[in-house]
Amino acid sequence: MHELIIVIKDLTKYYEHLHVLDNLNFNIRRGEFISIVGPSGCGKTTLLKILGGLIKPTSGNINIFKSSPSQKNDIREFGFVFQNPVLLPWRTTKKNIELPLEIYEKEKPKILPKSFIELVGLSGFENYYPKQLSGGMQQRASIARALILEPSILLMDEPFGALDEITRDKMNIELLRIWTKIKTTIIFVTHYIPEAVFLSDRIIVVSKRPAKIEEIVEIDLPRPREPEMRNSTKYNEVMKWIRELLKEY
Amino acid sequence: MDKGTIKRILNSTLNPMIFFIGILLVWEIIVLIFNIPNYILPSPISIFSEIINKFFLLIDHTLTTMIESLLGFLLANSISFLAAIAFAHSKTIEKGLYPYAIALKTTPIVAMAPILILWFGTGIISKIVTSAVICFFPILVNTIRGLKDVDEDALNLFESLSASKWQVFKKLRLPNSLPYIFSALKISTSLAIVGAIVGEFVGSNKGLGFLILVSSYHLETSTMFAAIIMSALSGILFFYAISFIEKRVVFWKEPEME
Repeated sequence: MHELIIVIKDLTKYYEHLHVLDNLNFNIRRGEFISIVGPSGCGKTTLLKILGGLIKPTSGNINIFKSSPSQKNDIREFGFVFQNPVLLPWRTTKKNIELPLEIYEKEKPKILPKSFIELVGLSGFENYYPKQLSGGMQQRASIARALILEPSILLMDEPFGALDEITRDKMNIELLRIWTKIKTTIIFVTHYIPEAVFLSDRIIVVSKRPAKIEEIVEIDLPRPREPEMRNSTKYNEVMKWIRELLKEY
Repeated sequence: MDKGTIKRILNSTLNPMIFFIGILLVWEIIVLIFNIPNYILPSPISIFSEIINKFFLLIDHTLTTMIESLLGFLLANSISFLAAIAFAHSKTIEKGLYPYAIALKTTPIVAMAPILILWFGTGIISKIVTSAVICFFPILVNTIRGLKDVDEDALNLFESLSASKWQVFKKLRLPNSLPYIFSALKISTSLAIVGAIVGEFVGSNKGLGFLILVSSYHLETSTMFAAIIMSALSGILFFYAISFIEKRVVFWKEPEME
């Protein structure tokens, strides 16, 4: 469980003169669910984009250990889920989910889109267009699309931030169900503390900009996590602690 | 069609119909009471009978104008579409040529028409060109906007999949620009007819512009009115033809209010 998949060393990012990330050092373990929590505008999204290779850091290293030989289908290192589901409105749900397969033309993987549609609970909605789906369903489709190339790391940038609280709670449980099935590493950015505590193995608490690591909190709540856990003393203690860490922002 | 739809269509057409008939009635009465001579303001009935009497002549001229404007429309939009792709693709091309596109837009077509007739003759070609020149701008601007106005996260998504520039164009930018393109096409429909008629005014022997000009020389005001009505009807027909195609191509967008 403690095999490392990403090692981040002295990661710093400037946009022109704007200091966004300040000397971050942390590791990510293979298969873990890790959240990054911090005040809004602190650079969480920048950090995620750097990890996914969309933005280059100003300095520092990111070491990604390639997949172990047992994961042969691992043709893509990262899958992305954004806050906005970014489904293409002219494509059906199925066509949207299959988009990465179309783009990834080399060595066509033997992947059945159907199994991913089932995995995220969208069976029966294959031929619906995005505007016919609810916000939660749109985000399910976006998760299926991120998973279809079987990435070893799933990067999620406040994926449920635009949903109402009831749907968000439901999607949290759904995400855990999906995660136990596919066993990828998930890096999850949020500013919603209860969500981070409910989902994560560890939470990286970052400060306001320029983002420094305040604390890396181990969440040793039992799995599988059930909704009832939200009433437990331990859960609420962890929440209180993280709130305390972020209090001054 | 259920009862509700029929009711809605009736409601939306009934009111304009009542007003239309009302205006025609008032017009007819005014012409009668004040004894306005036919060459100043013909009555609706005389215009209508003019349309019936000269139906084939009118259709003949209308077809000429429509063919000119349709060809001008197609020519302008295909060149302009390709230009827009080049503009959106390269900053150098955009910076170098965009000012001239704007200069072309601000120059009145009426001012350019005589020189175009001189160059391209009094036949159909010069009308296609006048029509094309006036149609050029809307599609250029809107296509560039549509190609560039792409959701940033969608671009991030394509980048995270290591999509090629061509894939981003084909699967994201092009479909994204379609609603913009169609709204420009709809603007172009009426412009295309304006361009063709202006060309006909300056030098021609056929088309609605020619008919309007000639009947004005002979004070055949009813014929002028009939030709004006035909030009309006052609514009409406053209507009709805494009709207019809738009609803099928850009099916994912709610149609905006016209």
